Formats: sequence, structure tokens, C-alpha cells
Amino acid sequence: MADMQPSLDTEAAESQRWAGIYKLLDRSSLIHPKFEPVPEIKEFVKSAKILVIGAGGLGCEILKNLALTGFKDIHVIDMDTIDVSNLNRQFLFRRADVGSPKAVTAAAFVNKRVQGVTVTPHYCKIQDKDEDFYREFAIIICGLDSIEARRWINATLVGMVDPEDPDTLKPLIDGGTEGFKGQARVILPGMSSCYECSMDMLSKPTGFPLCTIANTPRLPEHCIEWASVLEWPNQHGERKMDTDDPKDIQWLYETALARAKQYNIQGVTYSLTQGVVKNIIPAIAATNAIIAASCCNEAFKIATTSAKYLDNYMMYSGNDSVYTYTFQHQKKDDCPVCGQSTTKLEFRGDKTLEELMDYLKEKPDAQMKKPSFSLGGKPLYMQAPKQLEEALRPNLSKPLAELFSSGDEISVTDSTLPFSLQLQIDFV
Amino acid sequence: MDAKTQKYDRQLRLWGSDGQEALESAHILLVNATAVGCEILKNLVLPGIGQYTVVDQGTVTLSDIGSNFFLDQDSLGKSRAQQTCELLGELNEDVQGHWVAKDIVSLLEENPNYLSDFTLVIATAITLKVAEKIAGLCWQASQDGGNQISFVWVKTVGLIGAVRIAVPEHAVIETHPDNEKLADLRIDSPFPELAAYAKSFDFNTQDSLEFGHIPYVAILLKYMEDWRAEHDSKIPQNYAEKNQLKANIRSGMRTIDDENFDEAFNSALRACNPTVVPSNIKELFQDPKCEALTAKSTHFWIIARAVRDFVEDKEKSSGFLPLSGTIPDMKAQTDSYVTLQSIYKTKAKQDVQEVMNHVKCLLERLGLASDTIAVQEVETFCKFSAFLKVIRYRSIADEYLNPKKKEIASWLEDSYSSPLFPQYVLLRASDAFYDDHGRYPGEGENWEEDVDQLDHNVTTLLQDWGITQENAVPKDLTHEICRYGVGSIHNIASFMGGVVSQEIIKLITHQYIPMNNTFIFDGASSVSNVFDV
Ligand SMILES: [Zn+2]
Repeated sequence: MADMQPSLDTEAAESQRWAGIYKLLDRSSLIHPKFEPVPEIKEFVKSAKILVIGAGGLGCEILKNLALTGFKDIHVIDMDTIDVSNLNRQFLFRRADVGSPKAVTAAAFVNKRVQGVTVTPHYCKIQDKDEDFYREFAIIICGLDSIEARRWINATLVGMVDPEDPDTLKPLIDGGTEGFKGQARVILPGMSSCYECSMDMLSKPTGFPLCTIANTPRLPEHCIEWASVLEWPNQHGERKMDTDDPKDIQWLYETALARAKQYNIQGVTYSLTQGVVKNIIPAIAATNAIIAASCCNEAFKIATTSAKYLDNYMMYSGNDSVYTYTFQHQKKDDCPVCGQSTTKLEFRGDKTLEELMDYLKEKPDAQMKKPSFSLGGKPLYMQAPKQLEEALRPNLSKPLAELFSSGDEISVTDSTLPFSLQLQIDFV
Repeated sequence: MDAKTQKYDRQLRLWGSDGQEALESAHILLVNATAVGCEILKNLVLPGIGQYTVVDQGTVTLSDIGSNFFLDQDSLGKSRAQQTCELLGELNEDVQGHWVAKDIVSLLEENPNYLSDFTLVIATAITLKVAEKIAGLCWQASQDGGNQISFVWVKTVGLIGAVRIAVPEHAVIETHPDNEKLADLRIDSPFPELAAYAKSFDFNTQDSLEFGHIPYVAILLKYMEDWRAEHDSKIPQNYAEKNQLKANIRSGMRTIDDENFDEAFNSALRACNPTVVPSNIKELFQDPKCEALTAKSTHFWIIARAVRDFVEDKEKSSGFLPLSGTIPDMKAQTDSYVTLQSIYKTKAKQDVQEVMNHVKCLLERLGLASDTIAVQEVETFCKFSAFLKVIRYRSIADEYLNPKKKEIASWLEDSYSSPLFPQYVLLRASDAFYDDHGRYPGEGENWEEDVDQLDHNVTTLLQDWGITQENAVPKDLTHEICRYGVGSIHNIASFMGGVVSQEIIKLITHQYIPMNNTFIFDGASSVSNVFDV
């Protein structure tokens, strides 16, 4: 009975439907005197292509918000499928959707609910798409929980900027949450502080020293790490652990519990085991709503110029009262992605290459997992292939001063890095 | 893990099964199914609130579906209460939704006790008069000794969002302080078992592994005791002395690998803070509700009084709060760490037992059964006793009848720390404008004509408050409010939906600390402010 439905396409219907937004777009402002309420702005909102990265807790919110802001051409990219633990916040999914691709299900839901919008899903990794794909969008909004993916898209967008061609600059709006806290930021690649510039704001990667796990466990977490890092390969050989498989988690739990009993350590539970091995971050709908709405509000302001957009960072905390802190994060001169100068590091020349490697793994703004090193194209240490690794392994125990001179620039690569890091090391 | 634990895993890590239980027994009333109202409910239905009821007499219009995700084209012309209730209900099969297609005022006329079924009332898109009425009823219900009904009033105007909370009293035990802060190590005043533990380590050992694993708590205790032996039994008093203690610890280090000494060094300043009852907790002990218990006193106040009695019994408590019993991780051998942990835990348990004895005495004196308060409740209370929080909100009536003139003047002057107070004034002035004209500023086509009239309302308000400051509310901002014309913008509705639902979760679970009492967000500048108006 489609003909019974009132059409939403007429101009009169459009202005009623978007009444709140159109007031902003039709009326001039004394606070934002540069804003000119011209009809082209509304047309731009309707035609602009917006990319949403991630269709999880933030992504569901972002898609809904963009659709109800009047954007009509929205794309979403996500490689995940729906898990039952998503249902407490990812409101575009139902129990029956468990196992389906998030991007596809989310897109279908929004298309059905909001008439006139087209959300196009891409069920794949962001790395599967090339620059031609990203070039098509006016604005890119990220709702990811992975640092690695964020570093990749950030480096890609910064790399795409051609100073001669303003169309190559893609505003990147990034949101993230944890529990009652979160942050939203606007990145103008190459112009303002980028994601890599602020890596040092992240907390130190969690992880416990191997000797503690092996020899002096004190916390339930130490026992769980022992079970997953040391005992799993002992018992299961080559078979990789599947942290989504309850049987594997159960095994880890029981193994950790037995070790805890042996050492009189209390507090190993199934839930903690799962939390530690999957690195679970508490997440609720409310916080996702706040951060996603901030991101989309900034996208709206950038697209319409109807108010000043965020320059460039807002932090939110809801643990004790409600607190936001809005500030300008500074671009780093020696940022390995958007900076002009080489990244410098002061390190003792009598320390070994292995000690440098451990340092880079622990350093919050590096967050490397398995770095490889080379000097002027000559490998110092390589994680792979196996033969090369074995041949170069003795270098790990050599002091740096034997491998190169103070002030030399070495290059560091790592699976988590979307670029190779040029690092000038000055011996102290 | 059962299905429910699986579904709620990510939130149970924040508020646990107690918090979840509180959510599941709550019933929320939403007055008017606006975009912001439905966004709030969405964020409460998803984590499994018990029940919600939507009261709205309106029918769905085009502008409703333009900003509210819980309506679609098929909803046009139908009851807004019914349509939103149904689409929200799809979010969680464990939640019960109800709807009433009536106006709240007539509902309250039919049944003045209508609100007593609810834990909390969210009011959106209501006039000041209606807000005062609902707020008054909620407040009165609590005063009359019935269940407390929290009142939450939300406004969205263009790029601005605001929320006001009003509850006579909100007490929180589980405020969730950082784990580091929670550790109460008593380095300055060790109890006997702890002092004996510190003495069990051989600081002259030649075994470097053993030396490098002396727990930092034992290191601090030893250096503190040595210090006192030379300083008339006093702990370091000033900056210089504290630094000297740090230097002493540093000098005890044998190699740079002795991380345990690093840990001791880094915690030394904190260890020099004498253990005391924090001033806000002392104030709480002096509270009339703590002084004069009755049979109707809440568990919170009865346990608070028991803790006070415990603290006053210096022989048992040394004048300190019950020990929290938690310690941070530290470089140590498993055995010595586990032993230290159990020393603190055992002492904490003893303290709980002492407090429990006081609780039982109090219950008996009040004529209540001795099992009215469970030991687990006392345990949690004792653990967080240094971080308790009681918020007494001002009523809406107080805000309007007894304005805080002094604070208002300073909020208006200090645009650095209260940049959004002009927005508060403008929202108040908009209500006054409505009283004068029967519509909100900027609603109609000739919106710019409203600027002067709204400015007039602003001036009147400022005069009432005795504000003489020129340009206290910039006219450009008054113009901006008229530009917004009470338009509903989804992003702002969704932002406020998130903030308000966080606050409601904190109110219902009695965990974490809710804001007091007005929060304003300005989407144009992406900043926010909290005012206790
Ligand atoms: Zn950068």
C-alpha cells in the first residue's frame, strides 16, 4: 500500500522533516558571521559521500546520527560479525543477527528505518581498500576500538594529501570510548595534530613482565597470562587459541585457576580470564552515544560551516560528575607520519639492540609488537624470514655502539606500523 | 556463563550484578516522546532497565520522524507514545514497555499519585509550569517518606542541550575511586601484624634476588621506622624532610635493577601523609541524619553511624576508618606478597566485624531485626568508607525562589571556568518568553523580531539577580538562541541522550558520582559546564 504513504520528497515535506536543522541552515548567525545561509549547503549535505569506519558500538550510533542529519550517501566498512555481547549497545542488531556481518546488517537496518538514505556496506578490512576508494569521500568518521586500524587510516589519509589539491584533504573525525569515558577529535590530515602525534596520550600497553608470570605470580591476571602465554603452547603445540571459543576460554580458566590455587592467589574467574585474554574494554550504549554524537555534530559543522568545528580534541569523563575538556592538541614536529623533522631518541650506546627493542615495545607512543631494524638498507635484525632472523639474532645482544654510531638514522618496521619509522639515535 | 551474563558482559564489568539488579527493578517514566527522550530510553533499554512508560498525547509529525530514530514513515499520524514505545521495545526482549496517549497534566489530575509507581521521571519538552508541578510531586513523595522519585528535566534547543537533576538526597557507597587511591597502607601507623611483617625481612641479605624482592611496603615501613627513631617518633613533617626520607630510600638501593626500591621511592611522599579521617567524611559523621537515627533511617545512615562509633572507639580503630583491605601489585615473591595481602585483608575483616557489632547494637536500639543489614553490605561500606558521597540536590523550587545571587554573579564574571552560564540564563529567559508570548523564541518565520523581546526577558532576569555587569549575556548569543528556534537536532538529542542516561544509571545503581545539578552542553563550541544552581 505504498501509495497510501505521504511522500517525503516534496520540498514542503523536506522542510518540515528537517525543521530543526534547516533553521540553522536558513538563518544567519552573529556568532559565526562568516556563515552564509545559501541553498547549496543543503544540497551538499544531501550529495556528500561520508565514510564510517567501524559498525560496532560507535558505528551504529554514527550511522543513525548521519542519517538523521540529512546525509544520504553513507558508506560503512567493517570486517566483524555480530557477537551476543554486542547486543547491550549495538542497537541495530538483534539476537537473530548473531553471526552476520555488522556492516551489512547495520546498513540494511538504517536504510529501512530512515527513508531516502542509502547506506552502502563494505564487509572487509580497511586495508583491503586503496586510495582511490578513500578519495571519493568528503568526510571520514572512525568509530574503532583498534589502535592499529586507526594508525593505518591516519597514515593513509595523511599520505594522500597533495598540497596543490584541496580535494585530497579528507577531514578525519575519530571517536573512542572506555567505560564512562571517551574522546572525540577532528584531524585535518597534514594541517592539524594527527592520530600518530598523540600516541603518547595512550596509556602504556598492558602486559606483565615474563619473569613475573613465570616465577613470581601475585595477581590472578598473572596466572591467566601464564596459562595463555606459557602453558597454552606447551599443551596445544601449533594450534592457535581461539578466544571466541568458550571451550578454549574454559581451558585457560581452569589452568589459571589451578596455578592460582598452587600459589594461594585469589580472584581467578571465568569472566576475568575472558577479560584478560581478549583485552576486553567495558562498553555501554550511553558513552558510545555521547562520543558518536560529538563526532557527527563536528561532521555536520564541517559539512555546513553553520558553526565552528572542534579544534581539535574533546575528552569526556563521566565517572565523577560530568566533565569535558576541550583543547587544541599540538602537532608534533617530529611525528613520524605528519612531521617535518626526523624522530629522535636518546639512548645509551652500551645498551643492547634487544634492550632498545623492549623499550620500543613498552613506549606508549611506539606500541610495537615485533620490530625489525635496518641501517641504510642493511638489516640489523629482522623478525622474518626465519633464516634471516637466525642469522641476525646475535646482533640482539650487541651494544648499540657496536652496530652504528651516535646520530645515525636507523629504520624500524613493525606489523603494527603502517609506515617505516626513521629513528635518529643519539647516544647518551 | 548464562545468556544474560553474556549479553551484558561489557557493562557488568562497570557496575556488577548489584548494579544490574538495581537497573532491572527500576521503572522509568518518560514525559513526551521527543528525540532526546527516546535516545535516553534507548540507552536504558539496551542495558536492561526493568520497565519504562512513555506518556505523550501527541501524534507523529514529519518533524518528529526527522529527528527521532524510533519513529518511521509508517508512524506518521499515529500515537507518538505507542509508536516509540513499540520501536524502543524491539531493542531488548527482557524489558517491559508501556505507553499512555495522554497529557501528563490531565493524568496527574485524574490521579495525583500517578508518579508513585516510578523510580525516576524524565521530563522533556515541557513548560516551566508543568516542570514545577512534576518536580514538586516527585520531591514531596520523598519527603512524605515514600520511595524517592528522582526528577530529571532535559532541554534541547538547537545546538544547546541541558539537564537538571533534582533528588532530595543521593548517597553513594561504591563511588569507584581509582584502585591506587583505595589502597590504605598505614605506613605512618602500622598495626602490630603489619609492623611485625616488615621486621621479618633481612635488609642485610647477600642474596640479590631476595633483596630485590622485598616488597616496597616493607621497605617504606623500615625506613619510616628508622626515621622516627631519630626524629622523636614523628614522621617527616615538611617538604625537606620528606625529600630526605626519599633520599634515604634511594641510598639503600644496591643496583638500578632494584625496582622494589624504585616503587618505595615513588610512594614515599604519599606514605608521609598521615592517616586521617577525610574532612568530608567527618562532616558526614556530623550530619543530622547520622546523629539522630530513627527506625526509618536508610541502611546508609545506620552503617555510617556504626562506622562513626567504630572510629570513636579508639582502642579498636586507633581513630581511623575501617581498613579498605586492598593493596596494589608490587615487585615481590609470591609468598611474601600473598602474606602481606592477607595481613591487610584480615585486619579489614576484623574492622568489618567491629562495625557489624555496632550495626547490631544500633538496630536493636531502633527496634529493628538484627538481620536487617547484611554483613556484605557493611563490608562494601567499610571498603569504600573514605570515599562515600552524599549529594543533596537543590529543589527546582529553591532554584527559582531563592536564586544563588552571589554564585550567579561570579559565574557570569568568570567566563573562563563558566563559559556556558549565559546559555543557562538564556534557557531561563526562554521560559519567561514563553510565559509572555505562548511560544518559544525563534519558533516562527520572523525569528529575528524575537531577539529584542528575549533580550528583555534576559534583562529582567539579571535585574532580579542584582546583576549590573554590562553585556553579561552577549546579545549575539541571544540572537543565536532565536536562530535555533527550539529546533530539535538529532546529534544534540543523541549527545544529551548519552549524558542523561549515564547520569540515570549512576542514580539508579547508586554507583559512581552523578553531577550536581545542572549540566549544559554547547554543540557550537563543543564545551560543557556543570552548575549547582
Ligand atoms: Zn602527526
